[in-house]
Amino acid sequence: MFGLPDITVYSVCIVVVVVIAALLYWGLTFKGHD
Amino acid sequence: MADIFTIVLVAAYFLGMLAIGAWASKKIKNTEDYLVAGRQLGFWVFVLLMIGTVASGMSLLGVSGLGFAAGWPTIWEEIFVPLAIGFCIIFFGVKLHNVAKTAGYVTVQDYLAHRYESPTALRTLSAVAGIIVSLIYLVGQYSAIAIVLIWLFQIPLWLALLIATLITTVYTAIGGLYAVAWASLIQSAILLIGVIIMAPIIIFYAGGFTHVNEYMASINPALVNPWNAAGAFAPPYLVSFAVLLMVGLACAPHVINNVLAIKDVKYFKWAPLVAFVAYGVVIFLLKFTGFAGAVMVKEGVFALPSVPNAGDFVILYGIQYALPVMALWAVFAVIVLAAVMSTTDRLMLTIGAMFSWDIYKKVLKPDADDKTVLLLSKIVVVLSALGTMVLAINPPQMLAILIWMGIGVMLSTFAVPLLAGLYWRGATREGALAAMALGLVSSLVFGMLNYVKANVLGINFGTIPLHFSAYSFIIAILAMVIVSYATKKTSAKVLDETQTGWYISK
Repeated sequence: MFGLPDITVYSVCIVVVVVIAALLYWGLTFKGHD
Repeated sequence: MADIFTIVLVAAYFLGMLAIGAWASKKIKNTEDYLVAGRQLGFWVFVLLMIGTVASGMSLLGVSGLGFAAGWPTIWEEIFVPLAIGFCIIFFGVKLHNVAKTAGYVTVQDYLAHRYESPTALRTLSAVAGIIVSLIYLVGQYSAIAIVLIWLFQIPLWLALLIATLITTVYTAIGGLYAVAWASLIQSAILLIGVIIMAPIIIFYAGGFTHVNEYMASINPALVNPWNAAGAFAPPYLVSFAVLLMVGLACAPHVINNVLAIKDVKYFKWAPLVAFVAYGVVIFLLKFTGFAGAVMVKEGVFALPSVPNAGDFVILYGIQYALPVMALWAVFAVIVLAAVMSTTDRLMLTIGAMFSWDIYKKVLKPDADDKTVLLLSKIVVVLSALGTMVLAINPPQMLAILIWMGIGVMLSTFAVPLLAGLYWRGATREGALAAMALGLVSSLVFGMLNYVKANVLGINFGTIPLHFSAYSFIIAILAMVIVSYATKKTSAKVLDETQTGWYISK
């Protein structure tokens, strides 16, 4: 895919998705008051 | 090389920054206004200030330069650097902001002095260490500004450095964090929009994303692998690299101090995600531009200058080829200058704060009036700029290496005292002093040995399996744990005041 080995595409995509999911979880659960 | 449009555009950008400085200077009534913008930063100003502070010379020149030199195994930089903003906000920012509001912290050293009941020793060591690491980092930034001005105007290095120093210093010195934050708002917007428009054009001219990858694979299949088999960018190295960039940048004094200036803690809810996505898109595009540049150089489309740090020029020459209109080069030069200056100004202000507030006001002369402290901050901003300008006259071989070295020293010096201070009630003053001192000294020594590829006691520091900062970081952790167990605990009252414990927010 895109001239890259599958392992490159999958490993980068998986890490990006995990990071975004974690930051989304933070945003949804952080209460945001002092 | 420069025509009248280029000169006018770059001059207009510089004048715009000076105007922000002049506007901001009217808002400065006291040291707190100057150093933490009166704790009044809104969501977007804060998010773009964080992006601007983290997005530095490395972002444009270093990221593409590294992509040019080493291909896809370096791609992880594009995840860990934007993630540093989220790490800083989540693991440091929430607690520090909450405590700072009641305790009145102006710098992160205020927190360390309070949490570890060390108003003199730890504050001084921390401020001195902060100044040293910020100066190392600042040299890398000035080198990046000089690269752009030399490329655009064909002027000598000393003149390029002088122009860059003068402009950045004036608006930072007169406007403090208000000027830095509002300048960063504009600089980061220029960076985000500019890169999103220009990077795809360069990749298109290189034959498209797939062609670039296929060509790199044909030169050397390792260039399209996600990691190397051994040495730099092998899996163990990448783990140390993740810690270096994510934690090291997050605890850097010029980054972490921003969390003290936000108006409302609720902005921390979405700032990590917004900053990661916005900056992530830009930094990925920049890396792809470095790949495209590598392919174009190999195909003989253009040649890089014969200088030691030629890779750092790849994005500039790519622009020159893909957009053969000088006016667009000027636009791009402004984008690069915006990225670099947004970090440089924050670094200089941080050095000014650490000297005038932490060392002068809090240690040397506690009865100094606010006016004197404010004036001293401005003088130190100017002196730090002039000092690093002299150091930047001999630029490093590769910008990314110097900047990582600066981050490595920041990681080893600040991460352990801060994380242990915030989350471990057993961490003591002596533990923090030992961790900070040993982390600083060992990272400076390891960094230097690594840079010159020294062979000491049978260890070749040029080929160690982890980034050098991982070793000094481990030394700092051990120092903190061993010394803390052997020394007197911090009082429960201070631990409660500083919200110390195994939680982010209650």
